Amino acid sequence: MKQKIIIISALLLLLALVAFMVKDFFFNKPGDNNPYKFELENIRKGDTSMTAYSETGQIKTSLAEIHGIATDNSGNIYVAGKDGVEVFDASGIAVNKFKIEGIAQSIAVVDNDNLFLGMLDHIEIFDKNGKQISKWNSCGEDAVITSIAVKGNDVFAADAGQKVVYRFDLKGNLINKIGLKDPATGVPGFIIPSPYFDLGIRKDGNLWVVNPGRHSFEKYAFDGTLLTSWTKASMAMEGFCGCCNPSNFAFLNDSLFVTSEKAIERVKVYKTDGSFVCVVATPDQFEEGTKGLDLAVDNQNRILVLDPAKMLVRIFELKKQ
Amino acid sequence: MQNRRDFLNMLCRGTILTGLAATTGILVYRSAKGGNCKLGSTCTNCGKSDSCNLPEATLFRETVWQLDPTKCIQCGRCADNCVMTPSAVKVTHVYAMCGYCDLCGGYLKPDTKNISTAAENQLCPTSAIKRKFVEDPFYQYTIDEPLCIGCAKCVKGCGAFGNGSLQLQVRHDRCVNCNECSIARDCPADAFKRVPVDKPYLLQGI
Repeated sequence: MKQKIIIISALLLLLALVAFMVKDFFFNKPGDNNPYKFELENIRKGDTSMTAYSETGQIKTSLAEIHGIATDNSGNIYVAGKDGVEVFDASGIAVNKFKIEGIAQSIAVVDNDNLFLGMLDHIEIFDKNGKQISKWNSCGEDAVITSIAVKGNDVFAADAGQKVVYRFDLKGNLINKIGLKDPATGVPGFIIPSPYFDLGIRKDGNLWVVNPGRHSFEKYAFDGTLLTSWTKASMAMEGFCGCCNPSNFAFLNDSLFVTSEKAIERVKVYKTDGSFVCVVATPDQFEEGTKGLDLAVDNQNRILVLDPAKMLVRIFELKKQ
Repeated sequence: MQNRRDFLNMLCRGTILTGLAATTGILVYRSAKGGNCKLGSTCTNCGKSDSCNLPEATLFRETVWQLDPTKCIQCGRCADNCVMTPSAVKVTHVYAMCGYCDLCGGYLKPDTKNISTAAENQLCPTSAIKRKFVEDPFYQYTIDEPLCIGCAKCVKGCGAFGNGSLQLQVRHDRCVNCNECSIARDCPADAFKRVPVDKPYLLQGI
């Protein structure tokens, strides 16, 4: 009897050993418990509790590439890109489309409905029907005009290639350059590792320029004097991540900044002092690797996000609650 | 007349003699196949001798293992699967590509609150990346190779937040060029391949 118990126990132990070996050989895949695994999925999901906006509409564009978006006082939406400009009304219906020669990297619409297009190294002006009014001289063979803003008789152009902001008059004559590094006046100089360099003029007349390599917004007088700045460098949702962000911005309610980032694609709102307000769109709402999410705000305070990966204008509105 | 004991005795002797003869035969065959290799009868089919006649030898003399950074998915297995300790796979910094960022995604953890060299902020589990101030706002990041274990966390961070200037490579001063690379065998992205010895690295962006 005693011998039987010993044999049965030994067999059970043997079976357990075989079962362990089988599991170890066939079911323990390498990497399952990888201590060096670096998860970025949680960052891409974002914190939805911070999201105060929801996507309420999309407008499909028909251009081959899309790079710039702008709105006018009537709520029309202008999209510029490769070989053309497309115009939509506020409901998203296409109302006009015209051809241009080349790729427009940026667009600005002024009160009289003239369109300023940044055509790589120079600016071209069109009327709203697509008739070219003027074509300015090249800003240099390394120039990449990535943003344009117009205020009165002044036209400001951000040149990502030469890391400077130009101030022109309406005829294209250069008045002065803004943002060149000058320790004497405290101008830090623009750090632009990738071709995303945005500027804008608020309704109070202040010129704000992104310094992406410093994760900063800098406010300049029109003569180039640096007035103030704020910086928000962080991988967290409250800051600007990566090497160089934000890539684009627009003004909301004449006081808030709406910003977009690349690397971790997200759209957020900040106050004038740089304090974080809320999230508009989280990274998981965009295709991974999307760059150049240009922004505009229309007369209904809707945030328009140009999504070049999906070839859409995406409309975000404040959630009702 | 043999009894059972004698029969078993003979059987055992016969088995041992047969085994010895077979082993000798195999060693002699291998020695002849290995040409003038000094290892002679102890040949392990390594193919590494210059005079080796094995078919693998030509492949060995002319190629080495390397990791293609365009295929690498930074799974972290290079740290564990190499026969060398630490791994012969290490991160290489392509300085020509580096943005010298202050907020470096390859150096800092994503959830870090402060941009500093404090250990709790560093993404590298062995602090193998050294951060050095160059000029405002630029920082240089150098690799302390003896500390690098090839885990690829920095490579993934740099690729996600930066321009991908940190890349994994098999370092040939450490790699023993195994016939069957144990990392290549388990690589889920099939990123390992043999490359010519005169072009042993596959760095991207330069």
